[in-house]
Amino acid sequence: MTDLAELIVSGLVSGLIVGLAALAVSLVFGVARFANAATGDGMTLGAYAAFAAASASGSLLIGGVVGAVAGALAGLCSYALVFRHLSGRGAVAGLLASIGVAFVIRAIMGVAFGHQQKVFQMPLVRPWRVFDVRIHPTDVNLSLAALGTLAAVFVILHATPIGRRMRAVADDPALARVAGIAPGRVMIVLWLMAGAVAGVAGALIGVKTVISPEMGWEMLLPAFAAAILGGIGHPVGAVVAGVLLGVMQELATPLVGFTYKIAISFAVLLLVLLVRPRGLFGVHAGAR
Amino acid sequence: MSFTRRRAVQSLIAASLAAPGMGRAFAQSTETFRIGALNPVTGAGAPYGSGMQKMIVAAVEAVNGAGGAGGRKFDVVAEDTQTTPQAAVLAAKKLIEVNKVQAILGTWSSGVSLAVVPLTNDANIFLFNTSGAPALSVPPANAKGLSYRFQATNERFGQAFAQIAKKEGYKNVATMAFNNASGIGNTEGFRKAWEAMGNKVAASVVYEPNQPSYRAELQKVLAAKPDAIVTGSYLADTTIILREWFQLGEKTKWVIPGWAANPNLIKALGNEAVEGILSVDSVANEQAASFKLFDEAYRKAMNQPGLDNIYAAMTWDMVIVLALAMEAAGPGADTAAINKKVREIANPAGTKVYSFAEGKEALKKGKINYEGASSVLDFDEFGDVSPDFGVYPIKSGKLERAYVVKI
Repeated sequence: MTDLAELIVSGLVSGLIVGLAALAVSLVFGVARFANAATGDGMTLGAYAAFAAASASGSLLIGGVVGAVAGALAGLCSYALVFRHLSGRGAVAGLLASIGVAFVIRAIMGVAFGHQQKVFQMPLVRPWRVFDVRIHPTDVNLSLAALGTLAAVFVILHATPIGRRMRAVADDPALARVAGIAPGRVMIVLWLMAGAVAGVAGALIGVKTVISPEMGWEMLLPAFAAAILGGIGHPVGAVVAGVLLGVMQELATPLVGFTYKIAISFAVLLLVLLVRPRGLFGVHAGAR
Repeated sequence: MSFTRRRAVQSLIAASLAAPGMGRAFAQSTETFRIGALNPVTGAGAPYGSGMQKMIVAAVEAVNGAGGAGGRKFDVVAEDTQTTPQAAVLAAKKLIEVNKVQAILGTWSSGVSLAVVPLTNDANIFLFNTSGAPALSVPPANAKGLSYRFQATNERFGQAFAQIAKKEGYKNVATMAFNNASGIGNTEGFRKAWEAMGNKVAASVVYEPNQPSYRAELQKVLAAKPDAIVTGSYLADTTIILREWFQLGEKTKWVIPGWAANPNLIKALGNEAVEGILSVDSVANEQAASFKLFDEAYRKAMNQPGLDNIYAAMTWDMVIVLALAMEAAGPGADTAAINKKVREIANPAGTKVYSFAEGKEALKKGKINYEGASSVLDFDEFGDVSPDFGVYPIKSGKLERAYVVKI
């Protein structure tokens, strides 16, 4: 029983981080309407920035903030330099360009920080025991950081004028334009936000695992899976789906072993999409 | 849009048609033997890759400086495997089809070598690798006998692990393996040798790469209450697993291959967490003159002692072995003729030699036996070598060799 509880805890933490990454994918998809393959490498950049800041200042919190800022700037740059010029060219052009952006970011990280793994220096501490379930303080901190980021994003989306405009553009770009919403500013805020979310996600994974230039790219598949499962372009859905996949994966391990746990999350994805093609929270039923 | 796309496709086709022709013309007009240095410059093998590549270049300089091998000078084309089979295959294709290399040297990680070997077999060229997977010894991977392994097989690593576990007095041993040919090769080799000693493996887990956490995997293994865990793992996953293990507060011994339990692991986790972990690696041929030559070159190129990178010693040896075999085969020899000479110049009976220049001289008088920097380099029927294994317990953040295991 405690084993099961520990598996759930482990899945929750991993799922929250994957959910954050999926949120970054989903935000861009909702407004800019393409699958941004550079999200993973935005995470890598956030992780390296956080690592550099945390090493210099000795504070993980400062590291996380710097990671978010760096991610936001990277998002903005990729919009200003690449994606702005591709708006209206369709989803495939955006996707392909984003793969190129991903390569560029990864190469820069490799040159700047080298290919040796980097690890956040933090004291290794023993877990708390809550009803005999081992809960790790680092995991609690990571989850709080993830939840805080999510809260900030949802406040911006639902309680600020720019968030409202963003949702209007996501719902219907043409109608939003008719209503007098200038897409330029919406896009800038969108890319800043998506970049910051990716940066935080990267910093969190960096703390939990190790940092390497390839780390973000390798997290892209689970992030895409969660974004699709949640109903693509739907922010809440992306997070819920990330957590769901994380927990399902861990819970499945006693039954299917560790080699096939990744397959389990894709089996869940398949099943949900068969029953509900628009995803858990999706509202757009097929092509319009 | 469609016009530019069509034009792009046309120019691509034109380029791909032209390139092989150009390469061939170039290859004919020179008296060189082209080597592909295909190493893990990035990815999991990054701690070793650039050193490996630089030692190929350094050894090639030594060979060319001594007048070349069999009347030919070496020319190196360097590529990165990124430690992934996909990137390695693309790079190998480019080396073979565009650069027309006649040997590929220095693939690291079994997944990479297993992916590249069909290409080198098809092209009838050598593949000298530093990978451990048992499958590399036999057909189909080594169907033509052109693949030579300068590293111990994972099977032999596993056998060494079993001997170490016995010597350390472990009773209840579990295994954890990274899901690839090398990781599983290690733990399977251990299991066979361990069961042959009349023991049982307490629990075994095969895990996937790039997971945000290995908590569940650890939980399963630790549930068997092992007194030691033997791994077939790499640096990144070992870092994550050991951090989670240490934070769980369990007391377990670890036996970990040297490519994962290295100074980078200590740096990542701190001295306390890694205290007492046993790191196992094949031992360089430290006392040999060939090792001193390699060590000098390595210090010059990397500003680090040669002992830090056993794989660089292997790639150094690869060039020397290839060069000596070419020298023995004589001018203009093809791959098959050179291949006949590899064991002849490396295996016993014959004057022991430690460098290319020395071997070239000695070949004029009779048979030679090259003693490498990485090991004595005696290839068995499968093209495998049998180095000895050093056991390095981590004490206060330092890897210090305690003893050597022979299998």
